[in-house]
Amino acid sequence: MDPARRSTETWRSHILRQLKHRDLSQTSMFQDLIRFYTQLLEKTSLTKAVLSSSNRRDCADSSSSLSSLQEQTSWMKKSTGELAYQVVELQQKIQIKTCFLQDQQDSLQVEKRRLGGVSDACQTLQKQVDHFNLENRKLKEDYDSLLERQRWAESKLREQKVQEEEMLEKMLQLKNQAAARMNNRNERRSRARQATLQKDLQTAARSKVTIDSSSSAPSSRSTSPKPELHVSRGRGQTRLFRKRRGHSVSSLKEDLLYPVGFCVSARVPARSLQVLEAHEQGINAVRFSFSSDLLATGGTDRIVKLWELRAGSLTHRTTLDGSTEGITCIEFDPMGQKVLAASYDRSALLWRVDDSVPKVALTGHSRKVTAAKFTRVSNQVVTGSLDRTVRLWDLQRTACVQQVEVVSSCSDLVCSENIIISGHFDCKIRVWDSRLASCTQELPAQGRVTSLDLSSDRRQLLICCRDDCLQLVDLRRWSNERLCFRAEGFKCGSDSTRAVMSPDGCYLAAGSADGAVYIWNVSTGTLETRLPDKHSSSISAVSWSPSGEYVVSVDRSRRAILWSDI
Amino acid sequence: MADDKDVLRDVWFGRIPTCFTLNPDEATEREAEPYYLLLPRVSYLPLVTDKVKKHFLKVMKAEDVEMWFEYEGTPLKWHYPVGVLFDLHASNTVLPWSITVHFKSFPDQDLLHCPSNSVVEAHFMSSIKEADALKHKSQVINDMQKKDHKQLWMGLQNDKFDQFWAMNRKLMEYSTEEGGFRYIPFRIYQTSSDRPFIQKLFRPVSPEGSAHTLGDLLNEMYPDALTRDGEKKRYQVLIHGIEPLLETPLQWLSEHLSHPDNFLHICVVPAPTD
Repeated sequence: MDPARRSTETWRSHILRQLKHRDLSQTSMFQDLIRFYTQLLEKTSLTKAVLSSSNRRDCADSSSSLSSLQEQTSWMKKSTGELAYQVVELQQKIQIKTCFLQDQQDSLQVEKRRLGGVSDACQTLQKQVDHFNLENRKLKEDYDSLLERQRWAESKLREQKVQEEEMLEKMLQLKNQAAARMNNRNERRSRARQATLQKDLQTAARSKVTIDSSSSAPSSRSTSPKPELHVSRGRGQTRLFRKRRGHSVSSLKEDLLYPVGFCVSARVPARSLQVLEAHEQGINAVRFSFSSDLLATGGTDRIVKLWELRAGSLTHRTTLDGSTEGITCIEFDPMGQKVLAASYDRSALLWRVDDSVPKVALTGHSRKVTAAKFTRVSNQVVTGSLDRTVRLWDLQRTACVQQVEVVSSCSDLVCSENIIISGHFDCKIRVWDSRLASCTQELPAQGRVTSLDLSSDRRQLLICCRDDCLQLVDLRRWSNERLCFRAEGFKCGSDSTRAVMSPDGCYLAAGSADGAVYIWNVSTGTLETRLPDKHSSSISAVSWSPSGEYVVSVDRSRRAILWSDI
Repeated sequence: MADDKDVLRDVWFGRIPTCFTLNPDEATEREAEPYYLLLPRVSYLPLVTDKVKKHFLKVMKAEDVEMWFEYEGTPLKWHYPVGVLFDLHASNTVLPWSITVHFKSFPDQDLLHCPSNSVVEAHFMSSIKEADALKHKSQVINDMQKKDHKQLWMGLQNDKFDQFWAMNRKLMEYSTEEGGFRYIPFRIYQTSSDRPFIQKLFRPVSPEGSAHTLGDLLNEMYPDALTRDGEKKRYQVLIHGIEPLLETPLQWLSEHLSHPDNFLHICVVPAPTD
C-alpha cells in the first residue's frame, strides 16, 4: 500500500511538477509580453485609422510635409474660390427669393383689400336684410290687425244675419196675423151674409109669392136653388168648388145649375132710362146676370163694376178689381154667384159676387184672353185667346185641363151642352166637342167674327162679323142657309163688337160704330129701330136683360146707357 | 482530491504563445505586422483565431477568403487540438510558436475546409460520442440531453472550465466493480508515420485486476516509443506538453489528462539531442 501510494504520489506529483514547469516556461513568460504587444498593436492601428481619416498622408513622412502643406494651401485656395462662387450664387438666390416674397406680400395686400371690400358689401347686404326683416314684421302686424278687423266684421255680420232672421220671423208672424185677421173678417162677412140671407129666407118663406110677370118667374126659379147653395156655403170659400151632392128631391141637377130662363116676350127698347158714366176709361164688356138684377161692366180701367137694376135704375153695388189690365169679356155664372172676366193680362179672373178680391186667376195664355165662359159642365171654364188657343179649365183644381191649338185667334166663345162654339179671325166658326176637345165642324162666316151669341133655346147662333153683317145660323140644321141682317149705317166698331139676341129670340141688338143701337126683327129680317144720339163714340157691347125689359149698351167713352121701352 | 482538481485546471488553462505571421506571398496593401496570441491547448484553431483573421484582413486586399495555417511547410489540421499540434510539430522549438497564416491556395488534399464553427462543433461532439462509446458503450452520452451536449460545446467555445466540467464529470464516472472504463479512448500520434494515429481497444484494468499503466499501453501499442534499458532515450511521450511517468495509471490519465473531447491524445516525438 505504502509504496503504491508513494508511487501514485510520485507520478502524480511528477505530473503536477511537469505541468507547472510547462506553464512557467510556455505561458507565463509570454503572457505579459503578448498582452502588451497586443495593446500596442491596437493603439497603433487606432492611431493609423485616426490619421488616415483626417489626412491620407503618413505624418512620419517629413520630407513630403512641405509639399503636402503647399498642396494643402492650393487646395484651400481652390476651396475658397469655390466657396466664394457658392456665396455669390446663394446671394442671387436670396435676391430672387426676396423678390418672390415681395410679390407674395403685394398679392396678399391686394387680397386683404378685396376682403375688406367684400366684407363691406356683406355688411350693407346684412343691413338690407335687417331692413327687409323689419318691413316684413310691420306688414305682418298690419296683416294681423286686418285679420282681427275682418274677424270682428264677420262676427258683426253673423249677428246682423241673426237679427235679420228674427225680423223676418216677426214679419212673417205679423203677416200671418194679418192674414188670420183677414180670414176672420171674411168669415165674419160670410157669416153676416149668411145671417142676412137666412133672415131674407125666413121673411120670404113667410111672405106670399105671386106670379105676376115673366120677369119674376126666372127669378123665382133662379132663387129656388139658392137656399141650398147658401146652406152649403157656410163653411168657407173652398166649398164652392166642391162637387155638389144631390140635395133636393124634386129638381134635377141640370136644372139646379142652369135654370132655364124663359122670356115670354122681349120688349123693344125705345128710350134711354139712364145714362151713366160707368167707368174711368172705355168700357169693353157688359153683361146681365141670369137673374136680371145684376149688371156687370168692365173696361180698360181694369175693374169690373157690378150694378143693381131696380125699378129702372142702376145703382153701383160692388167693384171687382184684381186685373192688371183691361177687361175684355164678362160673364156671370148661371147661379149668379160668380163673375168671370177675361182680361188683357192674359188671364181670366173669377170673383165671387160682392168680393172684390178675385178668387181664382186662370193664367196660362200667352196673349190677351178675348172670351171666358162657363161651360155646361160644373166648375169648368173655357177661354179663348188671341194666342190661337182655346183652353178648358177646371175651377176646382184651378188648372188648365185641355188646351186646343186653333189656326186662328179666337174672338168669342159660346157654350152649349157638350159643345163649344168659337169664332175666329179667319172668318170661321168652329164647333168643339167639349168632352173630346176636338173640332167637329167648321163653318165659314162672312167676315171676321167679332162676337157670338146663342139664343136662349140654343137653336140659333148669332154671328157678328166685321163686314157689318149679322148672321143667324140654325144649329140644329147646320145648313149654310143663313139669315143675314144688314142695316144702313151699321158698322162694326171693332174686332170685339158684341151683338146680342133678345131673350125671346125675336130681336137682335147690336151697337154700331156711329154710336147708335140697331135692333132688327128676326122674323122680318129688317131693322126694327135705331137708337141714336146717346152714345158719343162707337158702342163696344150691348146686353139684353134675360127678362127682356132692358138693354144696356156701353161705349168707348165710358158711358153706359140703360134702354127700355117705358 | 485537491491535486486532481489542480491537474484538471492546469490542463484546461494551458496556453501556448504563438506568433502569427502573414505569408509574404499574400497580397497586402501594406506590410503586415505579426500577431501574437496565447492559444489554449485544449481548443481548436478555428475557434481561437478570429482576432488573427481580423488583424490580417485589415491589410489584405481580398476579403472573405478561408484562412489556413502552416508551420514550417506543414499545413496544420484544424481538427486536431492546438496542444496536440504544438506537441507534435514544435514541442522543443523556440517559443513563441511561429505559425504562418495563408489566405490563398488552400491545400485541399491536406486540409479539410472549415466554413464555420458549427463544423468544429460537429467534429467535437462526434469525438465525445466516440470516446463515450469506448468508455460506457455510449450509455452516458445518450442519457444526456441535447442541452447538455450544447453545454459541453459552449463550455469549450467560451473557455468556461466550470460549465464544461459540470457535464464532463458524468462522462468520467464509472461503476466501481469494473474499476474503470470499458475501454480507454486514446490516440497515439507519431511524427514519422504514414498513419495519422494509433487507436485501438485497450482495457484499463488487466484481466488479473491490476490497473494498466501508460507503459503497458505503449508496450502494447507502440513499443518502439519505450526506451530499453541501456539505450539512449529516443522518443518523448508527451501528453499536454509534459512527460508523465510510465507508471502512471492509465485510468487516471484518461480521467484527468484527457482533452475536452475525452480522448487521451499522446504524442510521440523524437527526443531532443542537445
